[in-house]
Amino acid sequence: MPTTLRIALLAGLLALLSNLAVIGFIYWRTHDEAVSQMRQQVVEQDKVLTDVFRSGGERALSDAVQDTIAYADPLAVVALLDTKGKERIGNVEGMSQTHLSEGPRTTFLRLRGQPTPRRAVVIIHHLHNGQWLISGRIAGEGLAIKETLERSLIVALALALMLGLACGAVLARYVGLRIGNIAAVASRISRHDLSGRVPLSGSGDAFDRLSQQINAMLDRISGLMDELRMLTDSLAHDLRSPVSRLRAAAHAAAETPDPREQEELLGSVIRQADSLMRILTSVLEISRSEALTGRKQFSWFDLGELADELCEMYEPVAEEAGAAIKYDRPKRPVPLYGHRQLLAQAVSNLIENAVRYGASGGEIRIDVSSNGKDMRIDVADRGPGIPAELRAEALRRFGRLDSSRSKEGAGLGLALAEAIAHLHEGHLVLEDNEPGLRTALDLPLRPENEDARAA
Amino acid sequence: MGRKILLVEDDAETAAYLSKGLTQEGHSVEQAGNGQDGLFRATDGSFDLIILDRMLPALDGLSVLKALRAARIETPVLILSALASVGDRIEGLEQGSDDYLVKPFSFAELLARVNALLRRREARIDPADHRLTVGDLEIDPLSRTVKRDGKKLDLKPREYLLLEYFARNEGRVVTRTMLLEQVWDYHFDPGTNVIDVHVSRLRRKLDDGFEKPLLHTVRGAGYMLAA
Repeated sequence: MPTTLRIALLAGLLALLSNLAVIGFIYWRTHDEAVSQMRQQVVEQDKVLTDVFRSGGERALSDAVQDTIAYADPLAVVALLDTKGKERIGNVEGMSQTHLSEGPRTTFLRLRGQPTPRRAVVIIHHLHNGQWLISGRIAGEGLAIKETLERSLIVALALALMLGLACGAVLARYVGLRIGNIAAVASRISRHDLSGRVPLSGSGDAFDRLSQQINAMLDRISGLMDELRMLTDSLAHDLRSPVSRLRAAAHAAAETPDPREQEELLGSVIRQADSLMRILTSVLEISRSEALTGRKQFSWFDLGELADELCEMYEPVAEEAGAAIKYDRPKRPVPLYGHRQLLAQAVSNLIENAVRYGASGGEIRIDVSSNGKDMRIDVADRGPGIPAELRAEALRRFGRLDSSRSKEGAGLGLALAEAIAHLHEGHLVLEDNEPGLRTALDLPLRPENEDARAA
Repeated sequence: MGRKILLVEDDAETAAYLSKGLTQEGHSVEQAGNGQDGLFRATDGSFDLIILDRMLPALDGLSVLKALRAARIETPVLILSALASVGDRIEGLEQGSDDYLVKPFSFAELLARVNALLRRREARIDPADHRLTVGDLEIDPLSRTVKRDGKKLDLKPREYLLLEYFARNEGRVVTRTMLLEQVWDYHFDPGTNVIDVHVSRLRRKLDDGFEKPLLHTVRGAGYMLAA
């Protein structure tokens, strides 16, 4: 069964049910009302007649019965029967004797002058002189209204069902149309075309919000795909040159007759292989960080102390490169929940970057600060810096701004630092140090998605 | 002096290469080609060292290690792995391995680590006098003072730690990654020559003005402290 039909039927059914509920209520109320109103009239008439009999005796009752026949409304039923059940006075024809017994009842009887018997509610009294008094009413107009009502209610129900089905059909068509748009995009995607986007109606309704979410997801996925494609391209490209250098060195080593030269060439082969390994390890580390697999190794540690350790570690290298590392360790610990090893690597990449490209400025300043919620560790050099328009390029994997490749490094350092920042739900920021470059890791005290298990 | 080493490695080529190299160094090497066999042999406890590949058929390296430690077999374990990320290394160490070496590695690196682990075992069996001496160098780990030829050397804390580590591995090759891991407790590759610069600073304080150098560079492998 197609969804459209199902939605239409469902809507019709719901309309029918709700109408049934309303109509049922109305029916119940009117029915009740009519019946109780009539019952009251019957009881009142009965009361009047029995009172008359009690106070005035048989004679007065006969008069009262005559009066009732003469003056009461034509639906009144009244009769006085003798002890054998034969009618003395009254407006009832052919009242069967078998019916005679004390108490109220519903029965069929024919009024005098009427062609057919009708339903009536009566009260029968066996008077103490042995006669029978029958008093009541034909179940007439009140119930007739009820019947008209019943008929129109059935029509109303039929109408409601049809309207419900029609509404359902319209609704189903609308929903089907909106969902069809989304489905069409999804099927394009499964056919490897990521460019499709769900059109928005502009009303900002739930469908639009869903479509926006889907579009945002698609943007992100295609961004990642582009990045991945670029990454594989540049990985292949960047591995090409060290591999060909390695091959050349190995080839030369195999050819040369001079053992000293051979040893040197083999050493170069090993160095090239090591640098290849380093590139692969970094790429792996980046994708690991982005897959958030490192979170199970998170722990609390003092970021101030980590920075201290790294400054001490890089101080001699910086000095050889002609720069002094300046760091004022915060007086109080700066606790952070994270992956100590990976953050150490991220910060050391920033310091290394500063030493490699910014040592000419003579000073590398490292600073750790915290506002109790977020923390920042920044590494600022006084070197040439990176112009604002090139900073995005610097963060890209294998993005090296000096295309000469004269300096060592595969251009993965900042990309890895950024991936590690993402692992901690933070960012890597590149800023102008006026002059020089300031790189900073902005980190939350503790990643929000991390459950409280390791607190 | 040869030692008994159990090599659990499924790659026949690597196993043959390592086995040959270690045998040439005078050790006796027994091989196992999968985790189950490796665990079975290791449980007899007579080995001085177990070299354990992380990815093994039948039972992976970390499970073997866990089972061994659960059985209270404390033989030193060196894990070999192609998993190079920092997280993988730390996981390996947390599972109770004594050292973790990432493939590919040079044989010199492996040998240096094997020797360091065997040496540690020796020290555990026979605790020596707390003072460390290498030729005319004397190190007191309690007061963290260093004297050479009776003259006190003024070392920074990290330089002292470096020297102490060298001294504890006297006469054995210590690689750069071993220093990074053991002295700094960092498990990533810093890329630049950070370690070399620290060692050369230490060497200046240690050997300048003395006729006989103690801290030697071992080409293609690392450094060695020896009289």
